[in-house]
Amino acid sequence: MAVTSLRAARVERRAGVRARPRRESRAAFTMLAPLLVLLAVFVIWPLIHAVYISFFTWSFYDPAVFVGLENYINVVTDEEFVNSVVRGLLFSAMVVPVQVTIAFVFANLVKTVSRRMAAVMKVTIYVPAVISEVIAAIVFALIYTHRGGLLNWFLDFFGIEAIPWLGDTATALPAVAIPAIWIGMGVASLIMLAGLLDIPEAYYECASLDGAGPWTKMFRITLPLMKNVILFLLVTGFAASLQFLILPWLMTQGGPVNSTNLPNLFILQHFNTDLYVGYSIAAALLLFGVLGAVSAVIFRLVRSEKAMDA
Amino acid sequence: MRGALGWIIRYGLAVAIIVAALFPLAWLAVAGFKAKTEVAATPFQFFPEVWRWDNYAQLLADEAFVRALGVTFAGAALFAVLSLVVNALGAYAFARLEFAFKRTIWAIVITTMFIPGIAIMLTSFIVVTELGMLDSMAVLVVPGAASAVQVFFLRQFFLAVPTALEEAAQLDGAGPWRIFRHIFIPLSKGAFVVVGATSFLLFWNSYVWPVLTVTDPELFPIQQYLATFRSERTSEQGLLMAGSTLAALPVIILFLIFQRHIIRGVRLSGLK
Amino acid sequence: MRTQLIRLIAAVAGTAVLAVGCGSGGTGQGAAGGKAEITLWQQKFTDQEDAWYKKAVAAFNKSQDKVVLKHVIVPADVWDQKMKAAQAAGKAPDIYTVNYSKVPGFARTGQIQALDPLIPAGKWAGLQESVVGSVEHKGKKYGYPMLVEPSAVLYYRKDLFAKAGLDPNKPPATWQELIDYGKKLTTKDVAGVVTAANQIDMAWSTWGLQWNAAGHLPISDDWSTPQAADAKYRQLLQVYQTLYQQGIMPKQPLAPYADANPLGQGKTAMMVCGSWAASVLLQDYPKMVADIGAAALPSFDGDTTKPTATLGGWTLVVDAKSKNARASADFVSWLLAGDPTLLVEFFKNTKFSKYSPRAAVADAIKDDPAAAENPWARTIEEQVVKYAKPEPAYDWAISLAFGKAIEKALQGKDIDQALQAADAEIKDVIAKNNLAGQGS
Repeated sequence: MAVTSLRAARVERRAGVRARPRRESRAAFTMLAPLLVLLAVFVIWPLIHAVYISFFTWSFYDPAVFVGLENYINVVTDEEFVNSVVRGLLFSAMVVPVQVTIAFVFANLVKTVSRRMAAVMKVTIYVPAVISEVIAAIVFALIYTHRGGLLNWFLDFFGIEAIPWLGDTATALPAVAIPAIWIGMGVASLIMLAGLLDIPEAYYECASLDGAGPWTKMFRITLPLMKNVILFLLVTGFAASLQFLILPWLMTQGGPVNSTNLPNLFILQHFNTDLYVGYSIAAALLLFGVLGAVSAVIFRLVRSEKAMDA
Repeated sequence: MRGALGWIIRYGLAVAIIVAALFPLAWLAVAGFKAKTEVAATPFQFFPEVWRWDNYAQLLADEAFVRALGVTFAGAALFAVLSLVVNALGAYAFARLEFAFKRTIWAIVITTMFIPGIAIMLTSFIVVTELGMLDSMAVLVVPGAASAVQVFFLRQFFLAVPTALEEAAQLDGAGPWRIFRHIFIPLSKGAFVVVGATSFLLFWNSYVWPVLTVTDPELFPIQQYLATFRSERTSEQGLLMAGSTLAALPVIILFLIFQRHIIRGVRLSGLK
Repeated sequence: MRTQLIRLIAAVAGTAVLAVGCGSGGTGQGAAGGKAEITLWQQKFTDQEDAWYKKAVAAFNKSQDKVVLKHVIVPADVWDQKMKAAQAAGKAPDIYTVNYSKVPGFARTGQIQALDPLIPAGKWAGLQESVVGSVEHKGKKYGYPMLVEPSAVLYYRKDLFAKAGLDPNKPPATWQELIDYGKKLTTKDVAGVVTAANQIDMAWSTWGLQWNAAGHLPISDDWSTPQAADAKYRQLLQVYQTLYQQGIMPKQPLAPYADANPLGQGKTAMMVCGSWAASVLLQDYPKMVADIGAAALPSFDGDTTKPTATLGGWTLVVDAKSKNARASADFVSWLLAGDPTLLVEFFKNTKFSKYSPRAAVADAIKDDPAAAENPWARTIEEQVVKYAKPEPAYDWAISLAFGKAIEKALQGKDIDQALQAADAEIKDVIAKNNLAGQGS
């Protein structure tokens, strides 16, 4: 009873302040119109259409033939597709931990170095993030040049024989992972830094009074309190690294022997060369349906701890 | 002693990170000063034998390259403005206004964040073809303007604005439009810079979509110019390096100008 | 409220209009005088070829007033996805350049139109039968052959041969010789030999060697059974494995297979490349020409009359959905089956590095004194073209499966297993695409 009357009072007050709620609703939809129209036309409708097409086999010239789930079955049973997904996960496993580690080291360094150094670090770490994948691919491919490349020249000083970084199945995937780390480390580092700066300095001071050393502080205060930030970086990093397309496309075309054929590139190459469309779309939807669901769930879990709605 | 060692380790690591971030770009710019075929010549030399401006001069005199830069710059600016208008209005509605099906619509908007480009690449292409947008600036600028990520970011920002300000304005009879214009826009300049700069960058670096939708060489964006140059003219790597440097420069400068806002923005977009 | 709405719409519309306006320069809608517009997509070739097409299109537009032909040059690296997308949206160009090997597949899936009803029978006279065969499907012709170029020729540096103590006039005659020579020629800065090094390039550039090694391609003629596991293919994979593993060919490709620059830049002593390499060498590296020799690739069993290359080439096709098929075919006929002078100019501009399958054109070229400019043309014609096979017409996936097997061998994997895997993959492609019985 008390609750009801309270709510009634609030509604009344709001209605009083906001003279005309219908006007507000109309204004809201007007403001939303461009956003919703653009999303509907260029994102939502294409998605619906893509799902529809994925149940057909279609050469663009003959009428499309309904094949039910056949495309999906072909995708799932295609060893090459499964390999590309596994390769994508492996790629993520190379990129994300390194990225998060760099970010963590970076954030802790920024806290301890001089103010001026910290400012320089914050700016420089982010510079690679503004560079396109195309340019990153161009630069790193040249750095990896077998004879006459920068990296092998450098290694020569240590007596290491020239390595065909992009020409060998053993080294190609890590070689493509490096520019991916390079591009992504700026954003991760700044987010990590923000998380670190959120931890009240008082915690550390108390710990110091109790005689805790730097490692104890790291494991008892920093890491537990950074759990969410690190989880967030792992999830977003995972989703982003699984979607790299331009780097392997320009650097290696997916080779040698498919060793850098990441899922998106696999899908694009099928799209380019298949005489019928359907397979590539089914593969894209399948891969990212799962990926999107996993990200969404974890995203929600992380977010729910901080009340999201004000 | 321990302190000194710690200092050396800390500053050593800091310098290492700075070098790792900047070195590839520095080398890119240096390599642009080399003769056409000197870049991957054996034996490797870090610095050019003779520093020459030829590559940079040749590119800046090349109509196609300058046009690609200009078109991309104009497109990116348009894209930044359009996406700012579209996303800020939408975000404001979600942050401050009440309307029917708000939660459902919000859920739909957020879901679009997870739709990968490659799954809808073909069907989006069909849409823009039907709309007769191929080979125009519109096809580059309009389809990507609405962004759930940006709506999300701006909504978070608007939610943090104290309600007291607008309540006073509401008492004066101001509607949502006036409140948005006179209260929210002035307060949000920092956030708008972040969104605008992000959009600019996104457009500047985009490759897959323009490749699909633009056939007219007059509209080739800079990334496509570079990628095609690389595959067609394998013998002119000095030029390619110079071109990549020139293509990276505008966004680096842009970032340096707005770095304060952008760094703060990145931090806000995290878990805050 | 209303004014706000109008203002908003005006703002958004304004931006959009501005955006459209900026780009409308290139759309070229509504050609003058209500003439129909047809579009030609030409893959980017060399500058000389592009210029020739441009000139030809301008001449065609001047020669008639029924249609306006719009000429678009599409970069090769993005051709596939642009074409796929355009086809899906029903906006494929009326006419486009295509490689012979793709014609039968496009015909089978209904993407292109048969040209025999559109181009008079007389125009087809005087064309080489075998080349016409590669653009045929079920007895109908889907393209008008423009040129042929053998896919694999061995170019070598005579001066480097001499320096290494080899006879500059005796190119390697067997694969063992090629490997031995390569070893002697390899230095820290110069590769012994450069050839295709990734599965995509190997898939097509080795068709000739696939014939040479086994006497057949890795699929039966009627496309019903895979033949990749044939033990005769071992020698082909073995050669690649040896060349790569012993560091005779670069461990990381210097350039794509079709690119002749590494030889011109002095980065390799031998190079396997198509006949088109000649035009690049003559055009961009004139000082090197005297030091470069050409020969056919070695034959595995020493029989030099066996094919070592396939005859690839380009043709123009008309899209199945073209609304102006007649006019489009008229252009193809005008360009490729009409006045030979125009085509002679093409072969001249490309330094006689390509060959015409049309008698009238071939004869005119033969008499051209400028033909002597290409010092390798005769060797290539007599030793390579003469024994070459037409390109296979089956799906690309089959070629790619075999290319993958060679690449695996290159990377040091077991050769028999690589061939078995290719065999299984080809079997899979046959089943999934119902290819059995589709071949000829």
